[in-house]
Amino acid sequence: MSVAQTSPVAPGAAQATRDALVAAGCQVVLEVSASPEDGESVAALRVQPSSAAALGRAVALLRARRVPVRVRGASDAPLGPPLGGALLDLSALDRVAAIDSTSLLARVEAGCSVGALETAARRAGCTLGPLLPSVRAGSVGAWLAGPTRGERGVPPSRRETAALSVTALLRDGRIAESRLAPRSASGPDLDHLALGGGGMLCVIASATIRLLPAADVLVAAWRLPSLAAAVETVERLCLTSSAPARARALAVEGGAVLAAAWEGPATARVDRARAVRLIAAPTATEVGDANGWVRGMSGAQSVEVDARWSDLRAWALHESSQPGAELRLLGLHAGGSFAVLTSAGTARAEDCALAAQHCGARVLWPRGLRDTGAWWEEEGAGADWKRLREALGSDDSST
Amino acid sequence: MNGPLPPATREGRLLARELMATLGAAAVSCTPKDVLAASRDAWPRLALAKMAGVNRYAPDLVVWPRDVQTVASVIAFANQRRVPVVTIGGGGGANGAALAVRGGIALDLKRLAAEPVINTAARTVDVQAGFNLERLEERLQAKGATLGLLPEGAAHTSVGGFLATRGGGPSSAQLGKAEDLLLALEAVDGTGTILRTHEGPSRGLDLAQLLLGSEGTMAVFTSARLRIAPKPRTRLPLGLRVSSMSDGIRALQALLRSGLRPSLARLFDPLSARLAGVHGADRSLPGPLRGLLSSGQQELLRAALHAPWVLNGLSEAVGGGALLVLLFDGHGDRAADDAADEVAIARRICEGAGARDALAAKATLSVLQHHQSALYPQLFAAGAFVEELDVAATWARLPAVLGAVRRAVAPQALLLTRISCAYLEGAAVEVTLVGPAGSLAESAQHRRRRAKGTVREFDEELAHAELRAEQCLSSALSAAQDAGATLSYSTGVGLARQLLLPREHGEGMRQLRALKRAFDPNGILNPGKLLL
Repeated sequence: MSVAQTSPVAPGAAQATRDALVAAGCQVVLEVSASPEDGESVAALRVQPSSAAALGRAVALLRARRVPVRVRGASDAPLGPPLGGALLDLSALDRVAAIDSTSLLARVEAGCSVGALETAARRAGCTLGPLLPSVRAGSVGAWLAGPTRGERGVPPSRRETAALSVTALLRDGRIAESRLAPRSASGPDLDHLALGGGGMLCVIASATIRLLPAADVLVAAWRLPSLAAAVETVERLCLTSSAPARARALAVEGGAVLAAAWEGPATARVDRARAVRLIAAPTATEVGDANGWVRGMSGAQSVEVDARWSDLRAWALHESSQPGAELRLLGLHAGGSFAVLTSAGTARAEDCALAAQHCGARVLWPRGLRDTGAWWEEEGAGADWKRLREALGSDDSST
Repeated sequence: MNGPLPPATREGRLLARELMATLGAAAVSCTPKDVLAASRDAWPRLALAKMAGVNRYAPDLVVWPRDVQTVASVIAFANQRRVPVVTIGGGGGANGAALAVRGGIALDLKRLAAEPVINTAARTVDVQAGFNLERLEERLQAKGATLGLLPEGAAHTSVGGFLATRGGGPSSAQLGKAEDLLLALEAVDGTGTILRTHEGPSRGLDLAQLLLGSEGTMAVFTSARLRIAPKPRTRLPLGLRVSSMSDGIRALQALLRSGLRPSLARLFDPLSARLAGVHGADRSLPGPLRGLLSSGQQELLRAALHAPWVLNGLSEAVGGGALLVLLFDGHGDRAADDAADEVAIARRICEGAGARDALAAKATLSVLQHHQSALYPQLFAAGAFVEELDVAATWARLPAVLGAVRRAVAPQALLLTRISCAYLEGAAVEVTLVGPAGSLAESAQHRRRRAKGTVREFDEELAHAELRAEQCLSSALSAAQDAGATLSYSTGVGLARQLLLPREHGEGMRQLRALKRAFDPNGILNPGKLLL
């Protein structure tokens, strides 16, 4: 994709930009390196705003000078500035500003780690629910601006973004903030200019995140004839109101084990009982140590995916129940699930990713294996997106 | 309309001739009858103009495309000529979003309604934008599937209209609202380019979600893939009396926190519950309020409408308490037992939160069959205007929203309040406002005047009545916004609410205008809506 609106910072201009950013309330490190293309010196900036206001001023300054921008939160994987551009490091913007325990909401700065938010939520008797390990390890901003748009599975089998509202910085540093309401019909949802955009159209400064009531977990586990049967079974559970909060399917010698966990404060018992009724003999037998089966660790060579049920079924068939093949489903919904997939044997993560992609799943992690390609995969809208970038005065260099 | 219909405009005749040459005569019309039919929707305020025999929203011509290519060619033609295009669906819009304020082409999608393709294995349906929502649900139910309980106006709602206004129904908290149901979208932008998004795992920015709710101002939706759910085998009702709306709200919150997800959760204020037929016969209502139910009592209501604070005082004194109505679904072989288990849990939780005795199942179901809009004709006849607002807020802000709306509007109109949908983080509220329309609605009188040719005086009465209604709605909505609610929950913005958009979006208005410039660079799609 061409970088139509941005221009890399030359070392001379970079010094002036650095000074302006420092005056705007940011800590700035200026790095000069040789361009891999022509060996010319190119400057890059690491910018750490000290407050939300400083972030607004920094965004305005960088956009006005058409400097390519990338964003990184406190716990995100190490990331450098784009060549000739600036890395906005939000690690100082990591506050959980408030938890509304009446509406089960947390207002949080974008640089805050998801893990820290979960800890704060637990203290208030809430949780973020089951999330992929990479999401839990990263920042709230990265979760919302990343490819999953902050989406997760929530009861009963729905998929929705965790962000009730997003505070987005426009190109001049002004703040656009959507209303706090469970749903709205006041025109298009402008949060979608930020969700999944990687900071391309606007930078997320903070968000209000939906929480779930924390509850005791009830578990059950069954032995089934195959990994594919285990996936079909858990898919069937998602069509009733007894969908589990998380599940794990593991190929074992001669079949597979499916373990599931329910978390509804007053409903987990009913849901579990229904599942036990639904997953009945002769094809399935309940097994002991369900807790152990649910909690088992994934192999090091696993990949995280966003997948439909048909993709997961295809993957399970592809693995042919070879012992060791495993799916951990974290965020089930009617259409599919976020999942950690581990191929059998000593397969490399690359092979595991290839198999998942072949089956239609979208690889989210490891980052190096994340599906690339266009930011948006649809037909006909190229000119519309170009006009939108022009209208918002943004760049397309963010990741 | 009273009197003869106005003839076709010159612009309409010229454009129709050109379009007929390529689309055929059957697909284009500028006859007064067709133009009039394309000038209306279900915005209650239009009832006032209709009484006055005034039609302000006439397009110049109507086009009925049968496929996406025709939609694209008509929009490309309009873009070239800079002619406005307003998209028409089922005519059920509640806010005037599909009214032509600047003439132009009415793109009526009712013929873009091929038989939907239902995939029960993948739990999706592919459906064209002109297909009627109620008929779609019938098709789905015949195959053991459902979109969920439909909104009240579904009989006059097209799939495209539902998506363009981010529609929702009673089951939205369980199965999802338009934004949750939409998996993929086909649309035509303001240049005539066909855009298609694909269903699949997430990939960053979501074009379909950005266009959803744009009310025809950025693209014309032509078809969509929607998520469907298995049709429940059993649905059991639970109706519980609660002493007040506050108690009902507490019970709803406790219910949702327990993990239960009813397919319907609705809370009626005492007067709404009474109008829906519970808590005894209408004879026990004070005289003026009886006029809401009975055409024989309209004179008292007509007089009382001029003192809305009196009506609201009487409404607050209505006994019987508020009413909480819930529905629980059962699937599979033990559907009835499963639903009954949930009803038992719900009853225990709600009683713990202050709910009182339960209604019989039959009485509870009959409450749900009552439609508030069925009362409108006699309200209009009694000289009332009717305005509706549906807003949404978080639980923490909801009591303040309800209080603010009541304080703002009680001197101007009678309020009927319902919580229509409850989520874990908040709820949607519907409020019906019934106020005095002035002398306009005294129909016998205005017809006589019109016969004598005193139209100017009559127009003044219409303007006066519309102003009262507008002021009343604006007071209610801005009070709700100030207390933290969103402007609209599931019916869109339209003409009725757009002036409050800047309060809603603040700096986001610049993002909204950027979207408009990107998808409709020459501003031909539904101009004058969303303040664009």
